[in-house]
Amino acid sequence: MRQAQPLLVAREVSFSRQAEAGQRLPILQETDLQVDSGEILAVVGPSGSGKSTLLRLFNRLLEPDRGQILLAGQDIRTLPPPLLRTRIPLVAQKPFLFSGTVRNNLQIPARLRRAALPDIEGPEIQEILDLCQVSPSWLDRDAHKLSIGQQQRVCVARSLVGPCQALLLDEPTSALDRPTADQLAQTFHQLARKRGLAMIFVTHDLRIIERCADCVVLLLDGTVVEEGPTDQVLHHPATDAAREFLSSDPMEKRTFAE
Amino acid sequence: MNPTIIDISLWDLMTVYSLLLMSIGLAHLLKSGQGRDIFWAGLRMFVQLLLVGYVLHLVFALKTALPVLLVLVVMIGFAVQTIGARVQVKMPHFYRVVGTSILFGCGGMTFFFCILVIGLEPWYDPRYLIPLAGMVIGNSMTGASLAVERLNAEFRERREEIETALCLGSSVQLAAAPAVSSAFRAALIPSVNSMAAMGLVFLPGLMTGQILSGTEPLIAVKYQIAIMCVITGSVALTTFLILRLGYRSYFTPYQSLREE
Repeated sequence: MRQAQPLLVAREVSFSRQAEAGQRLPILQETDLQVDSGEILAVVGPSGSGKSTLLRLFNRLLEPDRGQILLAGQDIRTLPPPLLRTRIPLVAQKPFLFSGTVRNNLQIPARLRRAALPDIEGPEIQEILDLCQVSPSWLDRDAHKLSIGQQQRVCVARSLVGPCQALLLDEPTSALDRPTADQLAQTFHQLARKRGLAMIFVTHDLRIIERCADCVVLLLDGTVVEEGPTDQVLHHPATDAAREFLSSDPMEKRTFAE
Repeated sequence: MNPTIIDISLWDLMTVYSLLLMSIGLAHLLKSGQGRDIFWAGLRMFVQLLLVGYVLHLVFALKTALPVLLVLVVMIGFAVQTIGARVQVKMPHFYRVVGTSILFGCGGMTFFFCILVIGLEPWYDPRYLIPLAGMVIGNSMTGASLAVERLNAEFRERREEIETALCLGSSVQLAAAPAVSSAFRAALIPSVNSMAAMGLVFLPGLMTGQILSGTEPLIAVKYQIAIMCVITGSVALTTFLILRLGYRSYFTPYQSLREE
């Protein structure tokens, strides 16, 4: 059944940070955002533009000063934060795996939620591992001995174990080399399509966005200056601010050179 | 009461202070730059202990509960202040958390021993209560500052781990559990080590004091054993309370880590 409104919606959210002398430093201003199941929304912008902050508002690692965020039409503040976070997990820039094997890491979400341990060999987990391209041969290896790219795949798979509806991606490819990053982008694309996950993908890597994002939002100084389908925003930006940002981005220049 | 104890006269005291002069001389010889420190520390010791001596003399003479309790409250106050000075980065509500924990941890253990175990008569007998509480509070103070410092360091070092756990749907209690248990371990190590080494390397202060004042060594040993158990119990309880009350202050009401 299709929802009357997109799965994840942010309405006029504003966020400020405590600065010295009791001052508040505005980070995000009246930001609107929405992404539906099966869609990847990329949030781009220079560092300090507030894109990671925006992401962390969705699973309440941060709380907005004003505005509202809805998951399937429900205000996220009405959900207990642990439940919210299992429905919208966040994958960080640097993969963090707990000590022990890959298998142990895949069981950790259940342990942390005091739920029954999932059957790693069962079809449900196997499908996740398959989609995330986590090889069964890694399962009993020490998680910290995997390459960074492999670790990030395990992190993605780990966050999907549970009632996951959306995925928050905080520059998940920036610690990876190009081919590995491209493959991971492909994986996100597959995940969105095959599992119907809504994804918010924060990055400054425009090349990666072109490979997997459906829509793009450009954030400058905490304000959305441009939004629309990926191709339109990247190649036919409507605003001068967007044109300036896109042409100043080193990643973008490299794309043209290829 | 104890005919064996030899009083130290003022003249005797001045004689032992010559040892400090010797230490200052040696420090000067080796250019360690501690001459001034030794002088002031020696002077502070003299003044502070003399004051304490007179206060205790007065409290012993008054034979009522109130002055004894007052002394204990002042001791706890100094302990909390000392921890505050030692710990570099303080958790939110630091003084409330530490004060409450020391009051219940040390107070609880001291009264448990004095009233339920040795059955002090009257219950506030300062001759027992004050020195015992002093040892308990002093040791718990060390444990508490270790715990507070360790907890803070753990939350800094494990920020990524804790946030990852929260992002996977963990409660704050489970996410903080490794940090809390590591802080508890750090706080308890000195007590455990000193229990295990007791009697091998040195004769502990309480026992030495009792033996000097003419107590039968076996009684002194039993007191020492008992007080070590009380100290360990108090360090454990005080630390537990600090950690239980304290770890939540690192989280927001909506169960995320506070910004640094």
